[in-house]
Amino acid sequence: MNHLMQFSSSLQGYLAVGAMLFSLGIFCVLTRKNAIGILLGIELILNAAAINFVAFSKFRTGLIDGQIVALFIMLIAAAEAAVALAVILRFYRLKQTIDADEASIMRN
Amino acid sequence: MTAETLHNIKLLAPEVCLTFFLCFLFVVDGLFPKTRTNKFSMITTVVACIAGILLTCKVGKTPEAYFGGLVVNDGFTKFFRYFFFFTAAVSSYVAFGSKEIETRSRMEFSLLLLCTTIGMSIMAAASNLLVLYMGIEMVSIISFVMAGFKRDNLKSNEASFKYLVFGGVASGFMIYGFSLMYGLTGSLNYPQMAAYLTAAQGNFGLVFWLALVLIYGGLAYKISAFPMHFWAPDVYEGAPTPIATFFSVGPKAAGFAALLRMLLTVFAVKTAEGNWQMINGISLTHVIAVISALTMVVGNLSAIGQTNVKRILAYSSIAHVGYMLMGLVTLDRSGLTAILFYLIAYCAMNLGAFWVVGVVANLRGREDLDAFRGLGWSMPVLGICMGIFIFSLTGIPMFSGFIGKFLIFGSIIKSGGYLWLVLLGVMNSVVSLYYYIKILKSMWLDRPESPESLKLSTYHAVGLVGLAIPTVVLGLYFTPILEFAERTLSNLL
Repeated sequence: MNHLMQFSSSLQGYLAVGAMLFSLGIFCVLTRKNAIGILLGIELILNAAAINFVAFSKFRTGLIDGQIVALFIMLIAAAEAAVALAVILRFYRLKQTIDADEASIMRN
Repeated sequence: MTAETLHNIKLLAPEVCLTFFLCFLFVVDGLFPKTRTNKFSMITTVVACIAGILLTCKVGKTPEAYFGGLVVNDGFTKFFRYFFFFTAAVSSYVAFGSKEIETRSRMEFSLLLLCTTIGMSIMAAASNLLVLYMGIEMVSIISFVMAGFKRDNLKSNEASFKYLVFGGVASGFMIYGFSLMYGLTGSLNYPQMAAYLTAAQGNFGLVFWLALVLIYGGLAYKISAFPMHFWAPDVYEGAPTPIATFFSVGPKAAGFAALLRMLLTVFAVKTAEGNWQMINGISLTHVIAVISALTMVVGNLSAIGQTNVKRILAYSSIAHVGYMLMGLVTLDRSGLTAILFYLIAYCAMNLGAFWVVGVVANLRGREDLDAFRGLGWSMPVLGICMGIFIFSLTGIPMFSGFIGKFLIFGSIIKSGGYLWLVLLGVMNSVVSLYYYIKILKSMWLDRPESPESLKLSTYHAVGLVGLAIPTVVLGLYFTPILEFAERTLSNLL
């Protein structure tokens, strides 16, 4: 138990969570057919990066810059989600589905 | 406000000026609804770009880093500012002559274009991972919207959708790579990162290489290099042609600017002779050579079977990225100068070629090879201009594309190694001739089924000739531009 406590308040603990979120994000992007699901996967990847930045800023550099980057990542994620939802909505209006496999009129 | 802050803002004057024009357009859009549909916003965009170019000439003669090292103002920044402002002005001109950009959304187009231009010029000036990320996202997120500009067109929506998914994942990879790099080097600023990497003497561990691969993924996506090139054909085909015109030059060059600056200032150090050398323990030249080879082979081979001209040009733009990456292999001055020269040549000829496709698409409503049948005879100016652009893209002597390729191949031969890469490049140029010439064959050798009287409007003729002239002139008299590119590199911070 003590061991676990130590791990969870160390750099490695945070990085492990970040790496896990990153892998889950990739898994989500690769396996989901639903466009919103893919969007959520992308958000997971971005948040993994944000966790890494905050952890490194606290344990590695001791400077505030990493935490500022995390704030900016949230901002970008919000902007991207807004645009993504608009695009997906538009796609839905035309095709009546948000299945990513349906986006296939252009093929080699 | 302290004197230092004022000085910093002064150095950022071109971007500030564009932002001012952007806000001005927003206000005008609200106050005078009439401007949404007339040419006012195009004129404002062009004026903004000219003002940006003039300010770039005036501001900051000496290279320096400002805003605490977040951005730098050197010859490299200036070169790309000229490049982006010119591209944006031309794209705006192209878009307003095209039926694909509906009259009712002209103002929106101008606002998005200006915003992307600011983002691109931030990408070129960034000397900090956060600023670079902000610049890239500023370009990407707006590009997603621009790709889907034809709201009721399924293809355009699909382009936007694909661009969004691939772009989101690529930028996610990149920012995760940035976070690892930040953790490893302990800094976001390029010079400090370089200092750490130099001191580490090659003991980086696996994390460094993982971060490098992830960052490359993000940047390769922006320049559409192997293995992140697959989105380009779909997006260019689906997006309205004037916007594809812009995508194939502007954001791609911005990606190159970011890639070059990061490679040269973080992973390499300047040597006494003015060349660059990879930091001890990072030797990427073989990797770059392989990537460049794969990029051009994939681009050229995929273009062969295509019948949609926009798609052909999309694959050809991937191949051109391969040629440009070849200049990075030697990391010496002549190779990098050649890349900058190639970018200038590529800008004129690719904007022109896409423009011609846009004109034909307006005329016929489609852009496959058949749509070009006999157009050379009914619209000689269009045919001749397309001939010039295509010959230049192929790399036939007398045109700027040839000089670009010649300089790049020459720099590699001069350095002594990588002869296989040069051979591959030459072979690729020959292969590319096959699919390029198909377009010209359709235009000049195939007769139209029925004789038709078509006329190219003066609006398009002026612009096309305006791009064809530098394409020819740069093929014959290129010394001033070459010297300009060399000066650009000599004071890279």
